[in-house]
Amino acid sequence: MNIREKILVVEDEKTISHFISTVLTSNGYEAMQARTGAEAQSMISSHCPDLIILDLGLPDMDGIELLRNLRTWSSLPVVVVSARSHERDKVEALDLGADDYLTKPFGTDELLARVRAAIRHTRTTSGNDEIAQKGTYTVGELTVDFNKHQALVRGENVKLTLSEFRIVALLAKYAGKVLTYDFIIKELWGPRASGDNQILRVNMANIRRKIEKNPAEPEYLFTEVGVGYRMAEGD
Amino acid sequence: MQGSKPRNNVSSPLLAFSWRDLAVTAGILLCAAGLCILLQTADTSDGFASPIFVLAVLLVSRFTTGYLFGLVAAVVGVVAINYIFTFPYWAINFTLSGYPLTFLTLLMVSVITSALTTKAKRQDRLLRENEKEKMRSDLLRSVSHDIRTPLTSIVGITSALLDGPSLSQQEQRELLEDARSEAQWLIRVVENLLSITRIGNDPAHISKEPEAAEEVLGETVRKFRKRFPQVQVKVEAPETLLFVPMDVILIEQVLSNLLENAVFHGKTTTQILLSVRQDGEKARFSVIDDGQGIEPALLPVLFDGAWRSQEAEHRGDGRRNMGLGLSVCQAIVKAHGGTMEATNLADGAEFSFCLPLS
Repeated sequence: MNIREKILVVEDEKTISHFISTVLTSNGYEAMQARTGAEAQSMISSHCPDLIILDLGLPDMDGIELLRNLRTWSSLPVVVVSARSHERDKVEALDLGADDYLTKPFGTDELLARVRAAIRHTRTTSGNDEIAQKGTYTVGELTVDFNKHQALVRGENVKLTLSEFRIVALLAKYAGKVLTYDFIIKELWGPRASGDNQILRVNMANIRRKIEKNPAEPEYLFTEVGVGYRMAEGD
Repeated sequence: MQGSKPRNNVSSPLLAFSWRDLAVTAGILLCAAGLCILLQTADTSDGFASPIFVLAVLLVSRFTTGYLFGLVAAVVGVVAINYIFTFPYWAINFTLSGYPLTFLTLLMVSVITSALTTKAKRQDRLLRENEKEKMRSDLLRSVSHDIRTPLTSIVGITSALLDGPSLSQQEQRELLEDARSEAQWLIRVVENLLSITRIGNDPAHISKEPEAAEEVLGETVRKFRKRFPQVQVKVEAPETLLFVPMDVILIEQVLSNLLENAVFHGKTTTQILLSVRQDGEKARFSVIDDGQGIEPALLPVLFDGAWRSQEAEHRGDGRRNMGLGLSVCQAIVKAHGGTMEATNLADGAEFSFCLPLS
């Protein structure tokens, strides 16, 4: 990696901003810090970062507003940071085009995993090199075969229904990234599908019974409570 | 600054008007009048009108707020007695013997009763406020205790690392790990406090949505494993998907409190079984550990948190008690219309709670 990815950290708490920047720098990224929304906006246009880590609670403007503004002209990846109890903000941010989220308090592993996934998904359109080259996605003992429309566990076809496969394929395409209920429903059943996510959950329960050893302890298909689902990242 | 200026324009509660009080007043006076009319048909003497209206005025003063309606009732009563119910009927006669006395009596009854009622209500309110205040300060005291201890170690540890003589890498690492676990403890305290604010004053206000029980369990355990990799957790959920109406953030808090308690208070816990099953019209969540069990003396008062402050002071050890976490669990489950219980098993302890399915 010759050119280091530039990451803009938009966070008004000095200590948190400092800790995030330190972790990023020591992991081979170039970190820049902005304390306010206004500062962030000018730095986005002057420095062209590769990724933004955006705290939703800023002193001068709502982080959501900044995101909405940004999405009118740029698709550069954004990872939002919010407090645990504000799950609605998270969902709103994701539906507005944020790529992922971190819940305070978070550890360095989580921070780096989100950053990696978000940057990778902007590089390749299919989100994953393996999918682009071989038409398959592998994580642990699970393989999703996009050409044959099959999911294999330990080499064996688990016989998903068409909707079930489409859910798994969608999550695999964006592996490592959280997809909101709304996003999945719209991708699967069209923009006019009902916002009720019960059918999706029933589908997911069936998929897990076919793929996971214990559906209540998933290894591949994680729930993000109140937000959506996430596929485990491949090795 | 602006808020500290006293407000003068607050209308006096003593002469406050409300439609409810108006209705009460009208109702009682009509009853009194009705009774007088009824008695008049049976008895031609006028003696009964005054005592009946004294009673009516007393009742109005008692059951309305402030002085206004009592006074109105007294005036109406006097007019009614004079005008309608004493001879000459349907005429005002100020020369009636004893008339000033009746008027005075009714006024006195009204004023004295209203004064007593107002005072009693004020005392009630003060008592309730005092109770609330006491609960709040108890909670604040125990929480401050919970927070001060880990903060003291974090400050101590970081100062030791910054200013201390050269420590070996191993020692530094150990100190940092301590600091991290203290900080995680603080986060736990704060998350519990946030849960309390999320329930708020009105438990009926929590927003429940049907959630897949197995997903909630799976998520809670995944987070728990990151923090306690040495503890084995087994998760059991029914074969058919079970939807349970809940505020998922709060129930996750309950489950993770119970899991963490199993580790902190079971002391020797190595295995935990987390399960959910349908039990009639309820979903039953259970956390079973193989630790040392619950002190039998604590079992009956475990959830009310009343014992915790004394306990903490006795042992000088806020860390080892589970008061805040469990009272938060209890409050959350109650707000969901559910029930919670704890029992000692032959080998360990079980904490379980039920949530209604509809």
